[in-house]
Amino acid sequence: MKAAPFEHHEPSTIDEAVSLLESLERPTILAGGQSLVPMLRFRLARPETIVDINGIDELDYLEEDDDSLRLGALARHADVEEADVVADRYGSFADAAPLVADPQIRNRGTVVGSITQADPKGDWGSVLLAHDGEVVARGPDGERVIPADEFFLLPYDTTLEDGELVTEVRVPTPATREGSAYHKLKRKTGDYAMAGVATRLVFDDEGRIETAGIGLTAVDITNARAREAEDCLEGERPSPELFESAGELAADESNPESDEHGDALYKERMVDVLTQRALGDAAERAGVVRTVTP
Amino acid sequence: MTDEREITLTVNGTKRTIEVEPRRLLVHAIREDLDLTGTHIGCDTGNCGACTVLVDDEPIKSCLTFAVQADGSEVLTVEGMEELPESAGDLHPLQEGFHEEHGLQCGYCTPGMILAGKALLDENPDPDEDEIREAISGNLCRCTGYQNIVRSIEYAADELEARAAADGGTSIPDRASNASATDGSDAAFDCGLENCCGGPAAGADGGESRE
Repeated sequence: MKAAPFEHHEPSTIDEAVSLLESLERPTILAGGQSLVPMLRFRLARPETIVDINGIDELDYLEEDDDSLRLGALARHADVEEADVVADRYGSFADAAPLVADPQIRNRGTVVGSITQADPKGDWGSVLLAHDGEVVARGPDGERVIPADEFFLLPYDTTLEDGELVTEVRVPTPATREGSAYHKLKRKTGDYAMAGVATRLVFDDEGRIETAGIGLTAVDITNARAREAEDCLEGERPSPELFESAGELAADESNPESDEHGDALYKERMVDVLTQRALGDAAERAGVVRTVTP
Repeated sequence: MTDEREITLTVNGTKRTIEVEPRRLLVHAIREDLDLTGTHIGCDTGNCGACTVLVDDEPIKSCLTFAVQADGSEVLTVEGMEELPESAGDLHPLQEGFHEEHGLQCGYCTPGMILAGKALLDENPDPDEDEIREAISGNLCRCTGYQNIVRSIEYAADELEARAAADGGTSIPDRASNASATDGSDAAFDCGLENCCGGPAAGADGGESRE
């Protein structure tokens, strides 16, 4: 199948891209294209104009500053896999990156593109939610910072407005005693998650959980937080019983649908198990003795 | 809407300029505009990896990229494997490996497997089995069960190591000096490697240098 004809625009700066997005009729933004190109080929998407941002060098970065880990719109999944700062300090990102699609697709596909596409089966949205991350968008009226909690609306739908270009996603730099993890269940390489869970735990000086973040993949209409599970963790000391309670709550909060990969009840049970495992990893990485070995 | 654009790709070391519509996929440009039909289209959905090529040394699926996006890039397809320095004018060790280890049956996935293997060995000359399986995890084979493909890539890794370790690189120069006996080089000895011992200079074909 071939895509329908389209006009191809290649801006070389963010400003140029934003003014193109404002002036063109219903444009579509092309970054890694690993989901968009098949959609164009099957004519599920049929834009008249495409703004290809791959030539905007100022969007090609993955860096940590005093406040955040920042991923520009052209940071590829493979860049996350290869970044030392990620391997050292951001366990959930290091876990998730090699589980996305397959090696060839990770060389082209972008983290920002995946989040912006807002497929509920995408891995990065859950990681962003667990970390209380932010999405940075540029539009005709300037820059807007959208908390991850306020970003996802429906499958493939976000609170982005027409004419806005996501330039960056970012998460806070880890606290002294912080750990994060991502666990994903899938049949084989290249599959989307049947279920996935991202966790982030921040501990206080006395070893109590100060902040907990849990993001769920593929078990609701968007990437979703497991708020009750988070609440049950905060203020408590980690223990197998505590993580079991959190797993059960996360499973209760999830809303998976039955499909060819498994029925809803099975997926809920998997949310329970994956939550416990990801909490165990996060606690271990925070330097807290491993308390759960499911 | 159907305006064509001129793009230049350095394909297997040779600069090629073609005119394409923006909607033209890289795999179609390679197969139909450049007549390099070694790159296959298996699934049309980005799953199977038969269309894998290296763009600027990275393996990608050429059915998931528009040709205009590769403008100015270097592209390596299976047809270019024999021209690589380590092939010394004959089959590349990876191609030899697929032959020796029976790494194919119908052969449809083979070009993609070879390019995925090439990208792996460029980064990691001595991969273990898990690393090989991970590197070809984006490539589907419906005949072999993968066992022999893994062995083929292991064969190539061993062969490349043996050639590199051979005293003075004898296995390469012996074959390469035959292949390039008439290149007029005034070096007394030609190891066949780019920019070495009188071997071909980078960019000698008007192409850009390959890293």
